[in-house]
Amino acid sequence: MANIKRIKVGTASCGLAAGSGAVLEAVKRNAGNIPVVEVGCIGHCYAEPIVEVECEDGSSIFYSRVAGTDDAARKIIALSDEGRFSIPEKRASLEKNIVTRLAGRINPVDLAEYRANGGFEALKRAFSMKPEDVVEEVKKGGLRGRGGGGFPTGMKWSFLAAKKVPEKVLICNADEGDPGAFMDRSMMESVPYQVLEGMLIGAYATGATKIFIYCRAEYPLAIKHLTLAIEEMKKAGLDQLAGREKPLEITIKEGAGAFVCGEETAMINSLEGHRGTPRFRPPFPTDSGWNGLPTAINNVETFANIPPLIAMGGEAFASVGTEKSKGTKIFALAGDVKNPGLTEVPMGITLAEIVYDIGGAEKGSVKAVQTGGPSGGCIPAEHFDVKIDYDSLKELGAIMGSGGLIVIGKNRCMVETARYFLSFTHRESCGKCTFCRVGTTRMYETLERIVAGNGTEEDIAFLEDLGPKIRKGSLCGLGQTAPNPVLSTLRFFRNEYEAHVKDHVCDAMECRALVDVKLNTDKCIHCGLCIRTCPVSAIGPDFKVDNAKCTRCNSCIEVCPKKAISRVRKGEGFNSSISK
Amino acid sequence: MSEEFSYLNQLGSDKGDLIKGLQLVQSREGYVSDEAICAVSKHFSVPEAEVEGVLTFYAQFKRVKPGKYQISVCDGTACHIKGSTQIQAWVSAELGIKDGETTPDGLFSLVTVACLGCCSLAPVLSINGKVYGKLDRKGLTRILNEYRKMK
Amino acid sequence: MPEIQFILDGKEVTAQPGETILQAAEKVGIHIPTLCFNQKISRTTSCFVCVVKDVKTGKFLPSCSACPSNGQVIESSSPEVREMRRTALGLLLSEHTGDCEAPCTMACPAHASVEEYVRAGRKGNFLEALKIIKKRIPLPMSVGRVCPRFCEKDCRRNIDGKPVAINEVKRIAADLYYDEYMEELPPLNGKKVAIVGAGPAGFSAAYYLREQGIQSVLYEQMPEPGGMLRYGIPEFRLPKDILRRELAHFQKMDVEIRCNQKLGRDFTLECLKAEYDAVLLAVGSWSSSSMRIEGEDLAQQGIAWLGDIAGKNWKNCANPGRTVVVGGGNTAMDCARTALRLGGDVTVCYRRTRAEMPAEANEIQEAMDEGVKFEFLTAPLSLKKAEDGSLRLACQRMELGAADASGRRTPVPVPGSDFEIAADTVIAAIGQRTVVPEGVPAAKRGIEVDPADLKCAGDAPVFAAGDCVSGPATVVEALAAGRKAALSIGDYLAGRKHEEPFVFNVSRGHWRSLAKEDLVYLRKISEEERVKPEFISMEKRRTTFEELFPSIPADKVSKEAERCIECSCTAKGDCFLKKHATEYKVQPDMFTG
Repeated sequence: MANIKRIKVGTASCGLAAGSGAVLEAVKRNAGNIPVVEVGCIGHCYAEPIVEVECEDGSSIFYSRVAGTDDAARKIIALSDEGRFSIPEKRASLEKNIVTRLAGRINPVDLAEYRANGGFEALKRAFSMKPEDVVEEVKKGGLRGRGGGGFPTGMKWSFLAAKKVPEKVLICNADEGDPGAFMDRSMMESVPYQVLEGMLIGAYATGATKIFIYCRAEYPLAIKHLTLAIEEMKKAGLDQLAGREKPLEITIKEGAGAFVCGEETAMINSLEGHRGTPRFRPPFPTDSGWNGLPTAINNVETFANIPPLIAMGGEAFASVGTEKSKGTKIFALAGDVKNPGLTEVPMGITLAEIVYDIGGAEKGSVKAVQTGGPSGGCIPAEHFDVKIDYDSLKELGAIMGSGGLIVIGKNRCMVETARYFLSFTHRESCGKCTFCRVGTTRMYETLERIVAGNGTEEDIAFLEDLGPKIRKGSLCGLGQTAPNPVLSTLRFFRNEYEAHVKDHVCDAMECRALVDVKLNTDKCIHCGLCIRTCPVSAIGPDFKVDNAKCTRCNSCIEVCPKKAISRVRKGEGFNSSISK
Repeated sequence: MSEEFSYLNQLGSDKGDLIKGLQLVQSREGYVSDEAICAVSKHFSVPEAEVEGVLTFYAQFKRVKPGKYQISVCDGTACHIKGSTQIQAWVSAELGIKDGETTPDGLFSLVTVACLGCCSLAPVLSINGKVYGKLDRKGLTRILNEYRKMK
Repeated sequence: MPEIQFILDGKEVTAQPGETILQAAEKVGIHIPTLCFNQKISRTTSCFVCVVKDVKTGKFLPSCSACPSNGQVIESSSPEVREMRRTALGLLLSEHTGDCEAPCTMACPAHASVEEYVRAGRKGNFLEALKIIKKRIPLPMSVGRVCPRFCEKDCRRNIDGKPVAINEVKRIAADLYYDEYMEELPPLNGKKVAIVGAGPAGFSAAYYLREQGIQSVLYEQMPEPGGMLRYGIPEFRLPKDILRRELAHFQKMDVEIRCNQKLGRDFTLECLKAEYDAVLLAVGSWSSSSMRIEGEDLAQQGIAWLGDIAGKNWKNCANPGRTVVVGGGNTAMDCARTALRLGGDVTVCYRRTRAEMPAEANEIQEAMDEGVKFEFLTAPLSLKKAEDGSLRLACQRMELGAADASGRRTPVPVPGSDFEIAADTVIAAIGQRTVVPEGVPAAKRGIEVDPADLKCAGDAPVFAAGDCVSGPATVVEALAAGRKAALSIGDYLAGRKHEEPFVFNVSRGHWRSLAKEDLVYLRKISEEERVKPEFISMEKRRTTFEELFPSIPADKVSKEAERCIECSCTAKGDCFLKKHATEYKVQPDMFTG
């Protein structure tokens, strides 16, 4: 048996939420002299809490779903066979860990460990080049902005580099606002130095003198790790770029919960202390951005791509991916899938491979995937053979977005899904442009009406008419993409809309107004759990669910040990106000 | 400036730090009161109306005192798909409060938030920053009861 | 910096550096609407009413913020751009509330500026009030007496049961200043129009034609002009001396009236077509509808009966004795009350209940007060002459059944409920129809016209307006129709296409949908009671044709007008949202969501 070198416990946010805090304590209590370190996320969130035992011989043993008990900790230290975890082979063969190579493998805030694993080699290589050659290298790598827009990073940098002024600003967009996306959080928590190294290279290449990291406040751990990492870097003098008189200024700013601040010009407004409303372009930020200075904004994942790109060279970087979309992309896989988590895959992989092979979703159980968050669209299972890149997704009415990939099962209602996204965008609309501010509200109200069973065919026509106008008439990306979830579901799932408005039926049984709840007396064992759980006393002593009282909260369905209660079509359940 | 908010002096008076100032206030007080707006306005030399304009723009800021335990039910996409609507309804039913409200005893307040970034554990909620994942009806009751016992 | 050349709506335009598309467009006379742009403040780029299209990129730009670039091709008035602007306006309006115009003004069929003339009355300036009234109501003396008061029915003060007595303002303003006030008229332009029928529609058309410099000649079959005002509405509601005073004013307006001239008897449509530049048919709706019962011939026809008595100037008429009036409309009430004043013992039979009666509520009440009896839920079956020469009207009782298409509950006979009423006079007053003159196209309700311009089909400039088109309606509706015909004829004679003005109005809703707490306006709600007219004695009401009550004195009316809360928007005169919405024909309910 190999000797244990050290034990790593994944304590990124998702690990903590799964209970890795207690695991860490338990392991520490029982580890004796063996070093125990906290690491970030390896992407297999479904298996959290994860413990990795690193052996002297270089091998590693993973344990998944570890309990926070002394017993469990002792078993791990004894290298028990129980609970061992290995990355599924199929998944391993599809993934390509270029950007996430170190994520979850190293102590996130240990500068020496990052360096020992090749950290800051890329920066060294950059310093050996002229700044304009670094920009060229990035261009050669074909890297496109990973925040969603897909704008070529090298080109953006060249605009900023061309400005011959003493002060320039580089902003790292860490305001990962798309609900359902968490790759940036994970990168900041797991490999903060890599993200920062990308920024240093960017500042060197573009001549930026000031860096802001605009991070959403919901990510306290990411902020903590970045703050620690910046301090360490400053101590090590890494903020002193080659050929500069003064060290770089690096400032972390916490966002305050406004989705629209993910938009470049809105973010600049927010950084200046204003309401985060977008500005009209031109002037573009690279001409006049933060406090009037030339400014470029890249997101976390883009910056995280820079060190490997520079280290391996643009050409090698560009050898992965499709013709127009180079490199890899990290997707945050969630929803109706067996193995949710983060996965880094080469551009050009198919949706089917991600959903079925990596995510482990059962074939036939999936209705669609939603990409790009509230700005994106729903792609039905029939199109899962599409090779993912920026352009192919656009053709399907969706977008790459920041990489959130939500799998939607057969039992979900697409109208409700669209309504959900519109509830988000109409709430998050900053209120500046009429089309977005009012238009999304009117669309949302219409969708509310449809899911409430009060929709008409005119409502569908209304959505189809107004949607494209909102796209055309909005200033920023939020409004320009807000109708996407509606228009893409209308394109691929029109039958569901029609069933709602014509027959007042929600086949997915999701829309509350269109379903009843019914108890199957044949299955019922009269345990009374449902009666005790029901918050509105809708279930009588005769075990009949009265749909006049029932709020369709599903409490009884969830607690029933015999699965005797289910949703049925409206009118098929008992209703005291009708059946008298 | 009133003594109460003198901690604002740890920040410079650059207007770019206005949001930071408000965040500092909220982290200390739990919310941003009228008095706090007044203090922030003076500290940054920004009109009160503008301070309020900025703070009401951002979802993070609260204008009323929240409960001792702040429950944030995640309604991100993954959580929504996994039934966060039910979670909200259940919490509401258990505590008798709606989104944005605080229980009369001041113990719990409830807000719906866009995404806690723990999508793989959906549905999730957080109480005072601690995230609870893979919620179901029974689990939720158990969690709430724990906090009720702690008072 | 060099100037910038770009294409705007196909024209080469030069812009100075820093100038926006909107500013550059303004300089070449292309006006782009905007709501949020103000040179004095920084650009907000918010309303998006100013969008234009960049043809090369296909993008829509807010022209208030976008600066043109060299060679850019911009569209600012293509249908696509206009549609985007309409959408922006519609969206803005979907969140907009208030009342552009007060509900009284909107309710008035003639669209008189009610709130404005009530305000003038409040200030005691009744001449000003009259001027405002006459812009839409050229017969204010009559309308001030006989109007069913659409304005008052929609007055927001109905919420507390006290609508403002608006019509009293009109009546006293006309009483005081009608004779004195003379319009400033343009010189006659030589065009001449023949108007057949000297009733409200005809006079209204003549009035508004004259305002355009067009002279008209009114042809009237009866010995005196006035139409329904003269021969339909009885003396006690509208004294004919007052009507004559009112119509005399038209002579000062170069309007010629030829009485005892009947179409088809004394002249033909062809002659008029040959002699005049245009012809307007305003012949009214004078033929009584049939009761469709056996013995119908034994009954008097309501409107004809009233006409007979009017022809005798309500003097020396026979006592009709036991009188049964069949019907529930205003004509039925006029017949009943006239018969009563002639000494009759009057009963009104109506097949539904009081609530369904089409007659005005106050007229029903007044008739009851005067002693007219009512048999509700009663329908006639047949009319026979008894041996003593008197009449026997067989009736049956009805009950209300299901609602019909119009929402009114249909009366259904109660089996075995037949009974007889003995009478000396039976008057059928169940409605009137239009007799469409020969050679004129007919529709269901009367003469067929294009509703857009009131012109009859064919090349000849023949128009029609009033009851003869709409079927029996009110005086104020006839005045509105006459005005519309005058404007349409004016456009026709000038070779212009007649276009209905686009009426844009935002409303907070009908008072029934509001609560008293909603009545928050600049003017406080007065708790004073609504002014009441002082009726003449009941004895006089029952036996003479004297006017029911004298006009309420000016001071009291001014005080009454204090009760108006002035619902309309104070900014309606210079509201850009309203202006642009009108220009782009956007209704406030375009996006009700």
